[in-house]
Amino acid sequence: MLKTKDEQKKLYQELLLPELGALFRTALRMTRNREDAEDLVQETITKAFAAIERFEKGTNFRAWIFKILTNTFINNYYRVRERDKLPSLDEMEEETSFQPAFEGISPEQALLNTLTKEDIQNAIDNIPIEFKSVVVLTLVEGFSYKETADILDIPIGTVMSRLYRGRKILQNILWEYSSQKNSIEKGTNEEWTAKKQ
Amino acid sequence: MDCKEAVAKLYLYLDGEVLTPQERKEIEEHLKLCRKCCEKFEFERNLWNIIKAKCLDTPVPSTLISKVVSVINSF
Repeated sequence: MLKTKDEQKKLYQELLLPELGALFRTALRMTRNREDAEDLVQETITKAFAAIERFEKGTNFRAWIFKILTNTFINNYYRVRERDKLPSLDEMEEETSFQPAFEGISPEQALLNTLTKEDIQNAIDNIPIEFKSVVVLTLVEGFSYKETADILDIPIGTVMSRLYRGRKILQNILWEYSSQKNSIEKGTNEEWTAKKQ
Repeated sequence: MDCKEAVAKLYLYLDGEVLTPQERKEIEEHLKLCRKCCEKFEFERNLWNIIKAKCLDTPVPSTLISKVVSVINSF
């Protein structure tokens, strides 16, 4: 327990500043909007400081503040109607059965070569939130399955199943981006579209 | 270990999660012998590394830094 407000503030700054980038990235992927992401981080920081007395020195500050971020997002920013904008889960999880041929390189290599930062961020933005939060916390921010389970207040088995499905959904979206790009480059977009239908 | 078992543990292996040293060793031995699984593991490893790297490449806006400093100073 910290005694004075100055001590609390000093500790808070030391712990918080190295996490600012990660908090912003995660907020941005969740809100899909820079302005909302900045507001979400600001709100998280204010809430966390108000609760800093409950934070035990030496415990996992990173997981603690991410829990505040994700709870604040769910309570204040996430709208159920957001889900309506997304394709159905069945559609998103459908296995990609067609992978177009690429001259000289495998489809996998073509995928890896063509992915841009924008493709990846757009793809993540289009995953339903329950899968996205697990994918971002675990695969981008490097939290363990156990830490992710604690942050999101869900069982570790749920983290694993959501992560598996989130990965598949994300891969399907990326395959589609890559296939479209490569087809366009080769002038075979019509063929690709026909095969997908 | 066969291909089915190796693929079932692929993500646990790549994520560095809940596998015993013995299980990790068995997967690595399988990967030395099975080209198909080795390529699959490599592809998945590369894909998730790229995804992570591109996501991490998101600078904090200077406006947010100013806001944070101001919020902390107000406490």
